[in-house]
Amino acid sequence: MPLLFRTFPIILILISTSTTFSHDGQIHKFVGKSKADLLESCVEPTDVMRKKHFEFLYHQRDLTVIDGVRTTKHSLANCIDCHVSRDEVGNFIPINEEGQFCYTCHIETATNIDCFSCHASVPRHNEVKTNNRNQQNSVSAIHHQLENIISR
Amino acid sequence: MKSRSNHFGKINRRDFLVKSISAIAVVYIIPNIIETSIAAKQKSEKVSSKTKWGMHIDVTKCVDGCSACIQACNDENGLYGFGRPETDPQWIRKIKLRDLKTNEISVLPMLCQHCENPPCCDVCPTGASFKREDGIVMVNQHTCIGCRYCMMACPFKARSFVHENLTMQLTNSPRGKGCVESCNFCVNKIDHGSAYTACEEACNKEGGGVISFGDLNDSKSKVNAAIKKSPGRRLRVDLKLKQKVTYTGI
Repeated sequence: MPLLFRTFPIILILISTSTTFSHDGQIHKFVGKSKADLLESCVEPTDVMRKKHFEFLYHQRDLTVIDGVRTTKHSLANCIDCHVSRDEVGNFIPINEEGQFCYTCHIETATNIDCFSCHASVPRHNEVKTNNRNQQNSVSAIHHQLENIISR
Repeated sequence: MKSRSNHFGKINRRDFLVKSISAIAVVYIIPNIIETSIAAKQKSEKVSSKTKWGMHIDVTKCVDGCSACIQACNDENGLYGFGRPETDPQWIRKIKLRDLKTNEISVLPMLCQHCENPPCCDVCPTGASFKREDGIVMVNQHTCIGCRYCMMACPFKARSFVHENLTMQLTNSPRGKGCVESCNFCVNKIDHGSAYTACEEACNKEGGGVISFGDLNDSKSKVNAAIKKSPGRRLRVDLKLKQKVTYTGI
């Protein structure tokens, strides 16, 4: 019996977590296609991303601005690159617009995001000319493949 | 034959010592002698004080009426104005100086001087104005509250305030209303391994090759070569700010 008492809270937590996610069982539907739609999972497992994506972004933001770390795994630019959709003509739709990736959850949880008053809400790269060839080639191959699929 | 079999078969004490010492030298000593700063910074690495970015500007070559550097800066960082020259953002500008004694006029590009003792960072109430490890003075716009103390503290009028809502920002250069901004030595380009700032590239292409940018700690860098060729001076030396932008020909 004491064992049951001790394990009861744990069992309770295990059962309850699956039902307390705000989007449990829901499937995101998008108007256009994004690279993320074609991928198995995000940079971290999906449940981790749902709960902690802002922590990753905060951490990465300070690393990038203050220490000059330019890895793309947890960067906002990489999120947008992958999750942005295209309309019928092939133009990018801003990611915070109604029905788009950021909007769908943030309107439901009533959390206002202020990223896009300064950050570009679609991939808008000017040419970064790099001297280091290795860094240029290190852009993951899958991105290029998906780029081709979508642009066709 | 005897000596050969000795050489290949068993190792004597002298051989053993020589080989083991040279092996240790290869592994531990030689990598320390070769300058590590030659290798470009990896994206995952933090910036370190091993590099100190600096700029040298040869005023004698700068042409009146040329604005290639300004245009390049605007393109690189997505800057645009609202037809209000008093308050529109400018990260680099051309100014005309007249010597009071000789009436000699010199034209020069003026940008953030990236001081070693930056007064903008001294006055910033939130620490948003900061000096990166590699010497670049920049604004952390996530913590900038737009008080504009830094603009008042800067003796070179290098900083701008964004007064209006912006659209069409570039991915590589986020900027928005209510923040102060200034030249950051094209920090995004530099972190991705480029050895040139946008203004330098444009000046080499369209202007007179006025600007030389590089690592002040690397004796072979462009900027040190330019300083060696025509030593310059800092502006307003009396303020003791130790700027990393130097001028020659004024």
